Amino acid sequence: MNSAERNATIYGAILIASLAAPWVLPAYQTQLAFLWIMVLFALTWDLVGGQMGYTSFGNIVFFGIGMYVTAVIQRNLHFDIKEYVHVAGAVDTLQPGEYLSGLFLGMGASAIVAVIIGAVLGLCILAMGMRGQYFGICTLGLGVAAGEIASGWDYIGAGSGMVAPVFPERLGERGAFFYYIFFILTVILFLTLKWLYAGRFGLAINAIRDDEDKAEAMGIRTTRYKMTAWCISALFLAVAGGAAGHLVGFIDPTEVAFAGATFGVWMILMAILGGKGTLWGPVVGAVIFYITQEVFWTYLFGWQRVAMGALIVGIVVFFPQGIMGWMRERWPERFGHRVEESTLSSSAEGGGP
Amino acid sequence: MLSKGKILIALVVAVAAVGLVVATTAVAKVEGDTIIFGAAVSFTGKYSTNGKHTKNGYDLAVKRLNEMGGVKVGDKTYKVEIKYYDDESTPARAGQLADRLIKQDGIKFILGPYGSGPTKGMAPITEKYKIPMVEGNGASRALFNKGYRYLFAVLTTSEQYLAESINLLAEEFKKQGRDPSTAKVAIAVENDPFSMDIRAGVIEDAKRYGMKVIIDDKLPKELTDMTATLTKVKALRPDALIVSGHSKGAALAVRQTAQMKVDVPMLALTHCEAADVVGKFGGDANYTLCATQWAPTMTYKDDWFGFAGDYAKRFEAEYGYVPPYQAAESTASVLVYVDALQRAGSFDTEKVRDAIAATKLETFYGWVDFDDTGKNIAKPMVLRQVQKGVYIPVAPSKFAAGQVIYPRPLWRDR
Repeated sequence: MNSAERNATIYGAILIASLAAPWVLPAYQTQLAFLWIMVLFALTWDLVGGQMGYTSFGNIVFFGIGMYVTAVIQRNLHFDIKEYVHVAGAVDTLQPGEYLSGLFLGMGASAIVAVIIGAVLGLCILAMGMRGQYFGICTLGLGVAAGEIASGWDYIGAGSGMVAPVFPERLGERGAFFYYIFFILTVILFLTLKWLYAGRFGLAINAIRDDEDKAEAMGIRTTRYKMTAWCISALFLAVAGGAAGHLVGFIDPTEVAFAGATFGVWMILMAILGGKGTLWGPVVGAVIFYITQEVFWTYLFGWQRVAMGALIVGIVVFFPQGIMGWMRERWPERFGHRVEESTLSSSAEGGGP
Repeated sequence: MLSKGKILIALVVAVAAVGLVVATTAVAKVEGDTIIFGAAVSFTGKYSTNGKHTKNGYDLAVKRLNEMGGVKVGDKTYKVEIKYYDDESTPARAGQLADRLIKQDGIKFILGPYGSGPTKGMAPITEKYKIPMVEGNGASRALFNKGYRYLFAVLTTSEQYLAESINLLAEEFKKQGRDPSTAKVAIAVENDPFSMDIRAGVIEDAKRYGMKVIIDDKLPKELTDMTATLTKVKALRPDALIVSGHSKGAALAVRQTAQMKVDVPMLALTHCEAADVVGKFGGDANYTLCATQWAPTMTYKDDWFGFAGDYAKRFEAEYGYVPPYQAAESTASVLVYVDALQRAGSFDTEKVRDAIAATKLETFYGWVDFDDTGKNIAKPMVLRQVQKGVYIPVAPSKFAAGQVIYPRPLWRDR
């Protein structure tokens, strides 16, 4: 079996398993939907944090923005706002058509809003030449600030949050519906990234990661590439956020939308666990992280966080480059890195990105 | 290198194996002769103190019911059990866990989490699957105007928590021959669903009397300091300061008003008991007004626990502290559920839901009678004042055991 055939087999198996999963494990639909959100989190984070080497702590901002934009559009499209505010959300159940139109329009609008905000923030942070720790701290502030703004803004429910409409019964299985939304979204993201990483874009952002000054000196328009990567990340996070708000059902400003302490940290952990700067790393990391987390939650009641912490320490000690990074080092030929026999002994490090 | 490989393989195998176990162990709602309730409660996170009260309340009810022989549904008597998860004080997690309890564990009867936020996270899920949820710790009124059919709350909703303090303020003004509309009110609440509702209720009542709200602060969720608000209080001299921020907010208000010697004629709080302000701050807690859903001194009774005081004794013997109302309302939730199961004589969720809706029951916690929206309308809030280290009910007059001391003595006279 050559590598193209092998790849086709792997992709085919994953595709079939993913399509069948909600029907094989009907009780786990919602959790599987969250699994795709996690994969999406890790992939979008890795685009900026791994491939480009800009460790961001604030990507969650776009997730929250998407959540709120979609919820607001759903609300404004179908309800009289004055009445809605007056009765604090006491509203009738939506028809399937209304629910879907609100949801998808909202997700579309989220994408636009997030890219605009991403561009503005990018201009302020990236175009100003913020790098390294400074960039990290800057983005850390973004998430916190967004949560505080949302908590104080009455139009979007302030601290009381917003409630998504109840899922219309005629649309069938709620879990499966959201599962496929997140599945499709993640597949699109994955293919987009695969295509991007294979071309000039991938090389350029890798060059930025390896040595930004040198990259710039070679004529790469670094700011443009950085902004593009940041905005792509924002776009997918926002669209996912829009649907996630409806999946969770209740949008709390700091604990669901701008949940930096949970989702915001997890997306980094998952990417590092799987191996940052690789295409499959974030996917593998997210799957392992999420399944482990669910298992710990069930069987290590009350100690789940401790166990999770221990696991993370273990991962960092044994696999500092993440699972994929470790595998790449061990079996470089599987990753398309040919190692000459004569140089094998001298370059133990083997294989670049 | 080889050892790392083994570790990786072991890790993957372990995860896969445990995943398989998870996939195959679905518990039924009624197993043999046991009825299993499901609950996601905050064991960790910012609500963990009250989450513990909630769990203790549930557990005491279960223990008592099993002690008394169990619950008779139809012709058979069943033991009771609760399956718990930790919602980590977040609504997102609570919602996921509701889904897990219902779909994976096959639970048909859900008990509420602690707090309005997590309850808001769970309600859309239980509603979707038409599984009844009886809760005693989600007081936000926003839970009861969504048309939820399967959500029932034994407690009084949050906008009523401190409304009584405004009435009390108006009464005191009239006694002094002053016009209640000249009263000035200061509000400082945590920015979360529950406390924001408290604020809404207080503002509504203040408006009714034409009182002026001169300070209206939102406190951050990481409540560690409210000196900014208290400095304003010192400068603007309101007639009443209303603070709500769960246990942390209560402790903070008592501690910092004492530290800064803030003289305000009336200080009204929620969660005094849960925060144990008397135990922690002693004399500094005196004259604080505390809204309570329930107190051991009340005279309600039922067949399971006897009087409220008997419940308190039983609880203290079991857990070593006086039950705060968060525990009592949790216990009451289980009792309401069990009563409905007995009356329904069936485990059919629709029948049980209808039986819960038809509840008219006196428990040690108070009367329970749900309106169409699922909230209990038969039990009023009570306002107690800490006097010489003891909680004395002062309003409404039906429950009053003493006179309210208004205004609070100045700090220099204490």
